[in-house]
Formats: sequence, C-alpha cells, structure tokens
Amino acid sequence: MAEQDRGNEQYITEQFKRYYATEAQRVEAPPEIRRREFGFLSFGGRTMFRHIGFQDPQQFRGYLREYAPAHTYFSAAYYKDPRASMAEKGWLGADLVFDIDSDHFDLPCQKEHDRWTCRTCGKEGKGHPPETCHDCKKATFIEETWLCENCLRAAKYEAQKLLDILIEDFGFQASGELSVNFSGNRGFHVHVRSPSAKELDQLARREIVDYIRGIGIEAEYQGLIARRGRGGTASEQRGWRGRSIRALYDFIAEATPEQIKGLKLGRGASLNLIESRDEILTALMNKQPSRVVKYIDGKSMGKLLEAAVREQASAIDTVVTTDLRRLIRLPNTLHGKTGWLTQNIPIDDLADYDPLTQAIAFTEGTERVFINRAPEIVLSGETYGPFEEESLELPLAVAIFLLCKNAARVER
Amino acid sequence: MISDREAAKYPFLNDAVTYVETLGLTLENLVDPSYTGVLERGERRVSQAILSGEATVELEDTLTELLSFPVANMFITAMAEEYLFRRYALSEAARAHELLKDEAEERIAKLARLEFGWDLRLVQERVGEKLYRFEAHFKDYLKNAASFREPEWKLVNRLIRNGYVLLTKRDASRLLQEEIQRRIGSLVSKRRRISLPDPLRIRVNNLQKLFDENRSRLTGQALPTKLLTEALPPCIRHAFQGLMAGRRASHMERFALTSFLINAGMGIDDIVKLFASITDFDEQFTRYQIEHIAGLRGSRTRYTPPTCSTLKTHRVCYEPDRLCERIKHPLSYYRIKVRDYQRE
Repeated sequence: MAEQDRGNEQYITEQFKRYYATEAQRVEAPPEIRRREFGFLSFGGRTMFRHIGFQDPQQFRGYLREYAPAHTYFSAAYYKDPRASMAEKGWLGADLVFDIDSDHFDLPCQKEHDRWTCRTCGKEGKGHPPETCHDCKKATFIEETWLCENCLRAAKYEAQKLLDILIEDFGFQASGELSVNFSGNRGFHVHVRSPSAKELDQLARREIVDYIRGIGIEAEYQGLIARRGRGGTASEQRGWRGRSIRALYDFIAEATPEQIKGLKLGRGASLNLIESRDEILTALMNKQPSRVVKYIDGKSMGKLLEAAVREQASAIDTVVTTDLRRLIRLPNTLHGKTGWLTQNIPIDDLADYDPLTQAIAFTEGTERVFINRAPEIVLSGETYGPFEEESLELPLAVAIFLLCKNAARVER
Repeated sequence: MISDREAAKYPFLNDAVTYVETLGLTLENLVDPSYTGVLERGERRVSQAILSGEATVELEDTLTELLSFPVANMFITAMAEEYLFRRYALSEAARAHELLKDEAEERIAKLARLEFGWDLRLVQERVGEKLYRFEAHFKDYLKNAASFREPEWKLVNRLIRNGYVLLTKRDASRLLQEEIQRRIGSLVSKRRRISLPDPLRIRVNNLQKLFDENRSRLTGQALPTKLLTEALPPCIRHAFQGLMAGRRASHMERFALTSFLINAGMGIDDIVKLFASITDFDEQFTRYQIEHIAGLRGSRTRYTPPTCSTLKTHRVCYEPDRLCERIKHPLSYYRIKVRDYQRE
C-alpha cells in the first residue's frame, strides 16, 4: 500500500487517542501480563517497538492512552524476562495460536475489490498480484486490498471448522481454554490457553498444523484402502477417519464430471465416479468405506482424498502457529489498517457475529473526506461507495476506515 | 524397591539409578579386579553403539549388566564426542525397546506414567486388523512421534478423540524408546572433565580409537566448498530458480534457500552478491539478514535449513523425487547427490 499521508497519520492518531482516553480502561490485559512481551506500531512507524513489558494492567492501559498505537501486539509466549533480548528472554511456554486471514484465500470477491499496480511499469490488475508482472517481469507491486462480508464469512467458516477440530479431536474446553477473536481486519484468531498446549514444542505445533490442514493424510490410514485382513466396517470414526469419509461424500456428491476429470485419476476410477456415483455414496453414507475399493483404486483414492479434505480442513496460516515467539494482536485494541476493533467473541456467539457491525469503534460523529478510489463497503448495515475522486461528509467510522486504508484524506 | 533384574533391564529408570547410588561405588572400587567384568561390559556397550548402533541384552549376570550402564555412560561422557552422545543414547534405547515390546501392557503403562509422566490410559479397541491397547494424550504422543517420518505416525493418520490418541502395544513401545533415548542423551551429554585412573583411561582410549576408525563411515564426508548446483534438492532448486526469475517468495522459502546455501558451504559474500544482483533488496540489509541466519549476528545461532516435513507444512516442498522419499532433510539429499557426483 502507498505511504500513509502525513496529515492522515496525525488525524488518525488523534482519533485513536480520543478513543483510548475513555476506552483503554476496558481493554483486558492478557493473562499473566508480567510474563508477556508487548509490541507496538505507530502510524507511519516503520519498525515495531517490541521487547516491552508491563507490571500490571493499569500500567499497560496508561501506555495505550499515552501513545495510542496503530497496532497493539502481545506474545503468545510466556517469558522469565519479557524485556530482555530474544536470546535472553527465557522461554517458559506459549499459548497455541491460530491465524485465519482471508487474504490467503482465493475468493471471487477479491477480483472485485482488490487491485495491484506494478511498481516498475505501472501495469494494473484486479485480485491478487501475479508472481511476476506480465509486462516487465518484475515482482514488486503496490497492493490495494479491501474486504467485504464475503471475505469475512469465508474466514469465519474456517474459524468454525478449526474450533470443531480443537474441541472434538484435541479435547480443548470451549469454555475456559479456547478464545476466538476477530482480527480487526480480514480474519480471525484462535488462542488456546491450556497447560498441555503451553509446553508444545515447534515440531509438535507443526504436526498440529498439518492435522488441521489435512496435510499428509493417506487413504490407507483412514480405512479407505482395504488390505488383506482389514476392511469391514470402520466402526471407529475418530479424528480424520470420520471426517475424511464425510469429506469424500461431500466432494463426490458435488463434483462435476469436469472436476473429476481434472483430478487425473485412473481411468476406471474416473468412470466409476461418474457412472456408479450413487453406489459409492451409499457405501460412504453407510460408513462402509471398504466397499468403495472396488470402484476406486488405491492411487486414485489418494488423489481424491487430498482434494476432498480441503473442504473439511481449516485454512490456518502455517507460520503463525509454528512460531514459538510470535506477537499477535491483543483483543479489544484498535487495528490501524481499519480503525476497527480486534474483538473477542464468546464462542457461542460466533455463528451470529457480524464484524462489520459489532467491531466498529467510532460510532459517533462525521467527517468530511476526499476519497481517491475505494470499492463499496457495508458498515453497520449501511452501504457506502463505491467512491471515485469525490468529497463527502461520512460517518466517522467510514471516514476513518477509508483514511486507514489510505484511500482518502481529511478535508477541513 | 526395584528388583535386580528389572534394574538390569532398564538401568536408566529413576529407581535403578537410585539403587546404584546406594551401592556407593567409587572410581577406585572399579579398578579392583573383581569389577573387570563390569568394565568389559561397559566398554562393550560403547563399542556396540559405535559398531552396530544397538546394544545387546545380557541378563545372565544382572548386577554386571546393571553396573556396566553407568560405567558406559562415564566412558561416553569422557570421550566428549558430540556425535556419540546421540548414537549411544539411540543404541541403549534400542536395547530397551527390544525388552519393552515383550512386556505386559500394565508394565508399559506404569513405566510411561511414572517414569515419563505420560497421561495414558489402558483401553481395548479393535479397529480393522489393529488392536489398540492404550490411549495417550496428544502432547505425549507428539513429544515423541513428531519427528518420525513414516506416514503412519502423522497425527492426521491417527485415531484421535477428545485429546487422546489410540496406540497399539507396538506403538507405545516405540514412543517410549524415544523418551528413553532423550533421557540417556541428557545423562551422558554433560560437559565435564573426568580424570580417570589408568585402567579406565586405557579403555576409553581403545574406544576413542575404535570411534576414529569408524568416524567417517558414521558422520559422513565434509561437503565441497563450491556449491554443486546439480546436486540441489528439488525444493531448493525451485527456490533458487524462482529467485533468479524474480518470483515472489514466502519468508519460509527465502529462509530455506539462504540457510541451505550457508550450510552447503557457500560464502556469505557470494550469497549477498547473488541476492543483490537479482532482487531489489539493498545490499546492507540483505547482508545483515544473511549474517543473522549464518549466526554472525543476533542470537549467534547458526540456522540449519528446515526439515522436509517443515517444508511440506509451509508448502515449500516442490516436486519431490525418488531420492526425497529416502531422506528427511534437504541437506541429506545434497550430501548423497554430491557423493554420487564425486564418485563419477
């Protein structure tokens, strides 16, 4: 994104200050605050202030009031001395954290609202930028990424699948051990706080990531390829075993013949999937996966399963979860790229949660801004834009959102 | 109180270690001819680690078998060979595994819980051809299985519910072998100067000689100083070519490439030149990052490239070939290929 306008930065900082003056009091400090590292970014700041520690919630809230940071982070990790340099901190454990960001998804709506411009030759396009520019072959772009209810719904769906896996398979307690937050921009975070999660090392966290993404799943171990002496009904439906049968069922039921051909399965298997679809679905529905074997050979089953599990897996970011020293956004603080709140959501309320209404921080007042270019945005049920080179008096939440996205400037 | 036989079978158990301590043996005692058998067995435990990688089980004389374990540990610590710490721990853990797999389920469960603090329950569930006899909390499972490469050990291919993973007896013994290996590894890998009486010193020297004779077979040859691009594994080759083409790379991909090049022996100046010539990065910054990964800055840790499974997780693994199936680290791929090229 282009550099933030100096005037904008000043204006947003003032607004954030005004917000924190009254609301900092309501920001909940993370559990075990004295063991946590904090990090902050200011508007226009290029480097993060990190290795910061606080003795108690009051001291921390004082910091928010004084500096009104654009972004507020805390460590998933617990340290003996959070203020020391990385090597000296003394790692004691870390919450298990997950990040779901719709920017990593491939969604049709992104082709509507996201744009890129090649830094070298100025070529423009919609959606995600290509690996290299088609015209000049360079690989650096200015990106304008936006979001809409579609992206957020997609992210929420992934978060729900993640929570299901964490509760059903890993046995974490929905109340007490799991918390889910709207990230304040394009996604959701899930934090697991439990003694068994805290001590997991990097390798273990990587296995959990693979589990949740369905990476490395093999049909043989899902009871989907019968060996001699094996087979019969899979009475056990634990973990991915049950889920992969559901995944296969849904995938086969919904796949078009073109999609099936696209998987490049064995010829017999492709044909059977199209011609004997009902028989295969019945076998899966009766949880008799071994009966599927006569229609689909082992190798084809592997490919089919890999494609099918994507729908049941959760598209978590792989780096965030495996990083033992990650800083992650603190709930109920402001997000400097939207002016919205990073917001904790009770798990039971997640299904009905609408960030575009509930995470709005600046609920009162208006501001006149000049907008360069911005797609349509729906906030609190009202539709605004699309905008193109126009000057408008807008509700403060909309104005600050456009300013944070650097698509507008204040007109006074 | 632990029986002599149990202590001899599993001399690394806390009870066995305490039992040996109560005997109050000193180095001077060990020089006494009556302990020659113990010293010989201790020396043989180490030579078995060097030569075959698995110590034998010798329970005819249980006291000798028990006492030779701390003696062998002392020899290993005195040799102070980093590589041997691991190999010896593996050798002793493999020996324990031989015994464990024939123990009753109850014995295995007790060992896992009391010695290693596992959250483990006895169950009886048949799924297909497998009879599951335990369920272990996933944290205990992962602590031991996460480094295994076979697909059957991946958590995603396991039966797990409510935080517990089903295990067969074979599974449980194999996972315990890992625990045992770690424990023995930490018993011997102390940096400590030991001054030994001559009869013991002679045995250590013999073992040192034996290890030196086998060193290159065990630890592999040094890598050539010039990068052999023909020997790069597919993932690193892909990252390398991507960099040349100016393709956008993830942080993990860049990290994998840089740490690989450093560990494959490419000079820092050469890497900086390579990166700076084809990207828009400014040279100072690029150099700083590379030096950081090389352990010349910051935490002073020299980073090794991520393992194959980490690269798979982060989608950096690219078109694995047949050699990839045999290795779990991109540097191993490179080592094998380099050796093949050097032979030609």
